Amino acid sequence: MTTSEVTLEEVLKSRNIIVSDLADPQDYTIPEAKESTRKLMELYYSLKVTADMEAPYWYNRTWWENEGDVPIIRRAKAMAACLSHITPTILPYEKLVMGKAKNVRGAFPFPWVCASFFNAQAEALMNEVLAPAESEADSVSVVGSGGGNVTKSYGSVISIAKKFGMRKEEIPVLVKTSKPWDGCSIEDVSATYAAFTPGYDQEQRIMDSVICMFDSWAIPQGREVMNYYLPLEYGFDRIQELCDEKIAEVMGEAGDDGILGMARGYYYVAMKEITKGLSTWCDNHAKQATYLASIETDPAFRANYLKIAEVMHNVAHRKPASFREALQLTLCCHLGVVNEDPQSGQSIGRLGQVLQPFYEKDVADGVTLDEDVIELLELYRIKITCIECFASAGVSGGVLSGNTFNNLSLGGQTYDGLSAVTPLEYLILEAGMRNKTPQPTLSILYDEKTPEDFLMKAASCTKLGLGYPAWMNNQTGMNFMLRNYGPEGMNLQDARAWCLGGCLESAPGCFLPLHYNGKVTMIPGGASPTAGTGVHFIALPKILELVLTNGLDRRTGKRVYPAHDRELATYEDVVDQWRTYLHVTTEVVNRVNNIQMDVWRTRNPPVVNSLLKPDCFTRGADIGMMGARYNATINFESCGTITFVNALASLKKNVFDEQRFTLAEMTEALVNNFGFETAYTTGVFSPDSRISTAAGASYEKRFAACLQAPKYGNADPYVDGIFRDYENYMFQVLPNYRSYYGKPLYLCQISVSTHGPQGFVTLATADGRLAGTTYSDGSVSAAAGTDRNGIYAIFASATVYDHSQNQNAQLNLKLHPSAVRGLNGTRKLLDIVRAYMRKGGFHVQFNVVDSRELRTAQAQPEAHRELMVRVAGFTQYWCEIGKPIQDEVIYRTEYES
Amino acid sequence: MKHLDCKNYIHLDCEKGLCALDKAVVPSDGEGSEACARFLPAEKCGLCMHFSEPDRHGIGTCGGYAKANWAYASMNAVTCTSFKAS
Repeated sequence: MTTSEVTLEEVLKSRNIIVSDLADPQDYTIPEAKESTRKLMELYYSLKVTADMEAPYWYNRTWWENEGDVPIIRRAKAMAACLSHITPTILPYEKLVMGKAKNVRGAFPFPWVCASFFNAQAEALMNEVLAPAESEADSVSVVGSGGGNVTKSYGSVISIAKKFGMRKEEIPVLVKTSKPWDGCSIEDVSATYAAFTPGYDQEQRIMDSVICMFDSWAIPQGREVMNYYLPLEYGFDRIQELCDEKIAEVMGEAGDDGILGMARGYYYVAMKEITKGLSTWCDNHAKQATYLASIETDPAFRANYLKIAEVMHNVAHRKPASFREALQLTLCCHLGVVNEDPQSGQSIGRLGQVLQPFYEKDVADGVTLDEDVIELLELYRIKITCIECFASAGVSGGVLSGNTFNNLSLGGQTYDGLSAVTPLEYLILEAGMRNKTPQPTLSILYDEKTPEDFLMKAASCTKLGLGYPAWMNNQTGMNFMLRNYGPEGMNLQDARAWCLGGCLESAPGCFLPLHYNGKVTMIPGGASPTAGTGVHFIALPKILELVLTNGLDRRTGKRVYPAHDRELATYEDVVDQWRTYLHVTTEVVNRVNNIQMDVWRTRNPPVVNSLLKPDCFTRGADIGMMGARYNATINFESCGTITFVNALASLKKNVFDEQRFTLAEMTEALVNNFGFETAYTTGVFSPDSRISTAAGASYEKRFAACLQAPKYGNADPYVDGIFRDYENYMFQVLPNYRSYYGKPLYLCQISVSTHGPQGFVTLATADGRLAGTTYSDGSVSAAAGTDRNGIYAIFASATVYDHSQNQNAQLNLKLHPSAVRGLNGTRKLLDIVRAYMRKGGFHVQFNVVDSRELRTAQAQPEAHRELMVRVAGFTQYWCEIGKPIQDEVIYRTEYES
Repeated sequence: MKHLDCKNYIHLDCEKGLCALDKAVVPSDGEGSEACARFLPAEKCGLCMHFSEPDRHGIGTCGGYAKANWAYASMNAVTCTSFKAS
């Protein structure tokens, strides 16, 4: 090195500029989480998921004591009793308090909604006899056995639904609480009337074969976006006064509406009841915090408890006067909603924009620093991560992998069409980087107006390998909103308020004027009921299998569809028959689903959510009566899209275009798993597991031809054309089916975890996938190992159709950590996202992980308790994911630098 | 008596809780689950004067409200407006 170079380096070093950093700038060094966060997370990792009977006892008691009352009022009284009797649990180190139940990872059964999946087990336990067999979906669903899941009974703890621990002494309480609901739960009543549906037997065969994943009453709410506006604007005491004013105005008055007009009076009586319940629930925490302060000897803990008491008392009564109170109030409302039904996907929405006015004032007044806010946001992440969904193994394990999808969206546009990014949203990202938890997952509504430094910060969070934030195309989302909700009067301003319900269910919203700190801020929030409770996860490849086997499920030996007895002489014949079976499926499943949800909305209407969701309060109508602003939200969910498309491509190429073998020969190969041992026998669900049998040689050529057939994700027009035709077909045909709200259905394309159990029930497919292994994940992800032309080829394949036609399109990519190292790596990741968004891609999410680490973690899960991965729309602890999905994630194509 | 019967027991999950005084994790069953000298009975239905005739499962009658109903002895009553220690 010359004298001048040495001098230059020394000069730069004296100014804290390190030359090597200029060549390869280092990433931002993430500070540790706060002490309070670390203490609480240490505790979290030791906890078991627990169900108890306290809340359902009080719901049940109050419900039956008010027999004969107006249904919505009866429901509100029962929910208010439920919430106001939950034992308030406050932990040392907490600053935000409240949870679903008295246990930290707590949940409880809802026998008034559905009870069959635990009642029989509980009664058998009490009578010490064998429990009856589980449903097919439950039996093929694998719940991860690590972490907090209680998959087996032990000591005084009984395992319920392969996940929840319940103390033995509460089993008789479970039985006594559930018994009165025999025959009159939502599940039972809807089954009674679903049986009147023409083709009900067909629907049962479809459910039994797991072509449709679950019944809607299992999780009747969720996959929607919360709206916190009303309590933030008014506070609980003023809301009760408003209810009194409205009761005086409308009680006994029908107005011009002879059908729903009179119901308005009862609605406001119910809303007053539930608001009182929410308020009492908060006050109970204030009392408990006061008690803890009275016995506490440490001054710091004592001061903390006293502060909690002050905050909770304020939140119980008046509109919030600080960021902390506002955040606590949103948490209270969120928990209130997720406590009124078994549900998943109740998303938080654009919290950083909703709470920005409170944050801004606190900072301006000097009462809080950013680090204080980050601590609260870290603690908030723990609270949301503790939200559990009490549902059957088929739902909580098979569909959800234990996640509850409380999605927090960032970015997008304001009411006025400008970038909606706020300073608070930077801190939300920061908290997500410091306290790494599965919830809330974060979503960036990518828009060309989004500031570059915010995008870089988001990308630097994504590449940590936590799976969040995922990236969504704001313009595509807005276009879908206008397309789908335009008939209900949606305008451009409301379209800007959209964000993600659940993992990826684009949900409509609206802006409302928050009066705070002498200003009016238009804050976004959800404005619809569930955007997901329609036809659940139809296994597209399984239907294709049944086309080839003439309607007979060769795995179980049972007939699913009527035999078509067609020759299937052309590719078009195959597609046509698939469409026929799809119509048979959708027609009857939709009707049964409509009955289930109609029974739910009339007999079990939401009350907390009907208080909060615009425009219920202004109209005086609950969600079940279409009080929300937008109601065309019910969808058709698909699963296994790319497995299906690749299989069609192989059939077309090998059987019909090149005639290498006949359709019968292809079918025979599929039924015999191409001569390999099946995953049912080996217990290994990884797509790369191939153990030959003696018959293997006779299938070699067919197997090779299937593997080599064109595959989606390589910018190959042959197969991408099939994909486009499928998408356009679904876009045209689904609106012909109507929801229980009388609105047209539309396509939702997310796999969540259903590609596991639905792959399990599907034999080998013509793309070379073997029996029992998972389908391709998401909806535009390439099948693992088949994308050979790089990421940009996947983008080309994915965008052969307009993504704004549907609610979503889900793309998972896996990157090796070396591919995104350093600041340049962050830039590369952002460039990848931007390239896809600019092609019209709707969504992309990333795993940034070394597959070797995943294999090690699979063998030693408890040594990797904190490891998280992105599955399909959600991040989850590795040890709490079932093995089939673990295998699928390991096998995804990994892109290295 | 056990830790989980104490007023200073904070619920964690189906097998353990936290002592509000010590900040230590305490098991619900087995070794270490016995209450300490600072035990203070928690408000529970089984200790209420309105609770009567529990069966072998601890399910009895609650007469604390206008309409009598069943209740269970181990249920927390800290939020119950009618609780009165017997």
